[in-house]
Order: sequence, then structure tokens, then C-alpha cells
Amino acid sequence: MTIDWWTLGLQTVNVLILLWLLARFLFRPVAKIIAERQAAAHAALDEAEAAKVAAETARAEAEAAKQAVLSERAEKIAEVRKDAEVEKQRLMAELQAELDKARVQAKEDLARQSKAQEEALSEQAGVLAGDIAERLLARLPKEARIAGFIDGLVEAVGALPESTRTGIGLNGPVPLRAAQMPTEAEIAQLRDGLGKILGRAVEIEVTEAPELIAGLELDTATAIVRNHFRADLDRITAEVRKHD
Amino acid sequence: MDNPLSIEPLFHIGPVPITQPVVVTWAIMLALGVFSFVATRHLRIIPTKTQTVLELFVSTIEGQVRDVMNGDPKPYRALIGTIFLFILVANWSSLIPGIEPPTAHIETDAALALIVFVAILWFGIGTRGIKGYLATFAEPTWVMIPLNIVEQITRTFSLIVRLFGNVMSGVFVISIVLSLAGLFVPIPLMALDLLTGAVQAYIFAILATVFIGAAVAETPSPKPQEDISQ
Amino acid sequence: MTENLIEVASVLAAAIAVGLGSIGPALGEGRAVAAAMDAIARQPEAAGTLSRTLFVGLAMIETMAIYALVIALLVLFANPFV
Repeated sequence: MTIDWWTLGLQTVNVLILLWLLARFLFRPVAKIIAERQAAAHAALDEAEAAKVAAETARAEAEAAKQAVLSERAEKIAEVRKDAEVEKQRLMAELQAELDKARVQAKEDLARQSKAQEEALSEQAGVLAGDIAERLLARLPKEARIAGFIDGLVEAVGALPESTRTGIGLNGPVPLRAAQMPTEAEIAQLRDGLGKILGRAVEIEVTEAPELIAGLELDTATAIVRNHFRADLDRITAEVRKHD
Repeated sequence: MDNPLSIEPLFHIGPVPITQPVVVTWAIMLALGVFSFVATRHLRIIPTKTQTVLELFVSTIEGQVRDVMNGDPKPYRALIGTIFLFILVANWSSLIPGIEPPTAHIETDAALALIVFVAILWFGIGTRGIKGYLATFAEPTWVMIPLNIVEQITRTFSLIVRLFGNVMSGVFVISIVLSLAGLFVPIPLMALDLLTGAVQAYIFAILATVFIGAAVAETPSPKPQEDISQ
Repeated sequence: MTENLIEVASVLAAAIAVGLGSIGPALGEGRAVAAAMDAIARQPEAAGTLSRTLFVGLAMIETMAIYALVIALLVLFANPFV
């Protein structure tokens, strides 16, 4: 086994030269071009990424603009709706007020009307009652229409104050209204009674007044003494009206 | 039968005897140099077919180196790639009639292994410094120092003999078979020789990567067989 | 005669070296291929990686036989005692 040292040395040098050659002409340029392509690919990717980002941004902007328009529209719609609502409220309130006023007025009218009606009814009822009483009293005997009231009249005159009583019959005869012409006896009875009360004799001037229905009315200058059905009926009617 | 272990000089340049492997190596150098010069003269971003093949080759080597060393393959790319490419082309040069592969002679293999040996020292010292690199021989303990030194030498010899034995035996067997039956019979053996040549080129390059990686890496150098069988 | 004896012994040594030296790698290669077949049967999708690793491993194992062959050739052609 011999080793040719010259060959070994030459081969070592050869391989080293080949190493340099290949490194110079094969590996370095190929690796460089690979790196360049990678860089280019990265650049392209970055560019694409940037473009994507830009597109995304633009889209977001457009979206925002759209949103702004939409919200503006919604705002305007809301505003208009609010105005309309306010207007509606106002109109409603006006209408309500008018209605209320009309209703109040109607109520008042109604009340007034019913009151008037009631008054009319009451009056009618009073008149009717008067008429009924009048008719009923008309059935009484004619004598009873005077005789029964003489004592009452005399008592009423007696209830008058002193100053008023003294004035009765001083200036001529005492005017007396009666439901019908009293008889002589009744006149005498009246004169006696009055004379007893007043302490002096008085003259009586009798006039007929059928509207009194029954009873007497002493009509002097200082005092009027009523003692007849008409006065009673009138009082009762007034009482009835007052109650309503 | 020729002695496969000895070589005769073809001619002399001055006192220097030029043998057949050297001439073949020159031819290979010329072919590879011209090819790579022509092929890489017009590199484009959009690659041609040739450029695609070249880029695939370079990136495959880078990937292998990266896998084995777990590091940046840039400083070792040219060395490993040149070793692989040269051994491959040299092994396959036996296809040309009358040409014996340079790797069938122990001088070429020794030259390659010597370069790998120097590269191991170079990169180990370059990465760790002289002290740091020498300290790796004391791992895991100082008892291992002689064993580590012996391993360093024997694995270099192992590289030489593995490549030499494989290629030389292939050439030897083919020459024997040729002397027995000249036509058609050696063809399967030649095909096997091509496969062996490619595999041996790959193994030589990978082992060189493993050795350099072990010298560069932080961990103590693993046994090459373990790395390969993984 | 002495020279002849050495030559005879060299040839014998070369034959024995190659014969015995190839037993171990043969067994080893058989085991490696069997294990690889087993693995491929289990994981057919990893067949590419497995067969590539198998070839490299076979080449590594074969190197042992090649060592024996180199020794045999040394004995035959570069015998220092001839």
C-alpha cells in the first residue's frame, strides 16, 4: 500500500480550487437570487398587505360615511317626527281645550236649561196647585169664604205693632178687600172685632176681589194685613220654589 | 489484473508526476466550473428550468445542513455542496468508458477527508476559540480526552476508507466481471455502482456536516452512526 | 517455497477476511431491512423517509464489509511480506 503524496497534494489543491469555483459561480449567485426572490416575494406580500389595509381603511371610511348619512337621516326623521308630535300635541291640546270648553258650556247650558225647565215646572206645579186649591176651595160654601177669616184678620191686626195699629182707620174708612161681598152680619162682626182690637170704631169700605179665593185683606195706608188663600198659596208656591 | 491500490503517473510536469485521478479531477473541475459559470450567468427572478434545478439543489443542501446543525447553513453551504457535488460527479464519471473515478484512489478520498478535518478544526476554533474548542475534548470528563482524540482521527480515516472501499470495490468488481463476460452482464452492477456512488456522496457530505456541527454546537459530539440511523 | 507459502497464506487470509467479515454486515442488513419493512407496514405514509434512511443505513452497514474487502485487497496486492 503506497500513497502517492504528490497526487494527494494535487487533489487537495484541486478540491480547494473547485470549492472556490463553485462557491464563486454556483452557490453564491444562486443563493443570492433565492434571497432576492424571497425579498421580492416579501415586498410583494407587504405591498399586497398594505393594499389590503388601504382597501380596508377605505371600506371602513365608506362605511363610516354611510353610517353618518344614515344617522343624519335618522336624526332628521326623528326631528321631523318630533315636530309633528309637538304639533299634534298642540292641536290635540287645542282640540281638547275646545272640547272641554264646549263640554263645559254644554253642561252649563244643560244645567241652565234644566234649571229653567225645573223652574217652569215648579211654577207650573205651583200654579197647578193653586188652581187645584182654588177649585177645591170653590166647593166651600160662600159664607165660609168670609166668616172663617174674620177672627184671623182681627188677630193679625192685633199682632201689629202699636204705632201701626193706631194709624188704621184715622183717615177715612178702612179699605177691605174680600173674596165676595160679605153679608151685613159679617161686616158688623168685622167692625166689632176691629173696634175691640183698636179700641175705637172704624168704618169699613168693602170691595170685592174674587182673586183672593177666600179670605180678607185689610189694606190701609200704613199696613196691609192679608188673611186669604191667595196669600197662603203664593207663600206656599214661593216656598216650593225656594226648595228647588 | 491491475493492482487497484497503486497508480502510475501518466506524465510529469517538471518534477511533479501527474496521475490519472488528477487529470480526471481537472476535467471534472473544468466541466463543473464552466457549467456553473454558464448556468448562473443569467439568473432571473422568474427562473428557467436549469435555474430551478440549481435553486432546488442549493436549497436542499441548505435544508439538510440546517436540519443537522440547527443553525444558519450559510457558512457551510459551499463546502458541503462542493464535497457532495464533486464526489457525486467523480463517482458517476465511471460511466464514461476508460475513465476511472478519482475517488477510487485513496489519495483523492484522503484529500477530501483532510479538507473536512481542517474544516472541523477551522469552524470549531472559529466558533469557540482555541481554548473552547480544546475544552470539548474533555467532555464529559477529562478521562475521555485520549478517546476523543482517537475518535477524531479514526473518524477521518473511517471517512477515507468508506468512500475509497465502496467506489474502489465497485470499480474492481466491474472490471472482474468485464474480464469474465463483456456484454450486458456488468449492467446491473454498474447500476448498483451508480446508486452506491450517490449514496456514498450523500453519506460523506452528511457526515462532514455532522462532524462540523458537533464541533460548532454546544453539546458534546455525538457518534456519527447514531446521527445517521435516526 | 517460502514465498509461495506466504502467497498461499495471503490468499487464504483474504478469503477468510471477506467471508467472515461479511457475515456480520449481512445479518445487520437483514435486521435493518426487516425493521424497515415492519415500520413501512405500520406507517405506509412514512415510506419515503424510511426507505431513504434505510438506504443510508444500509450503506453505513455495508461499509463494514467494505472494510473487510479493503483488508483482503491489501493482503492480496499490498502485502508487505511478499
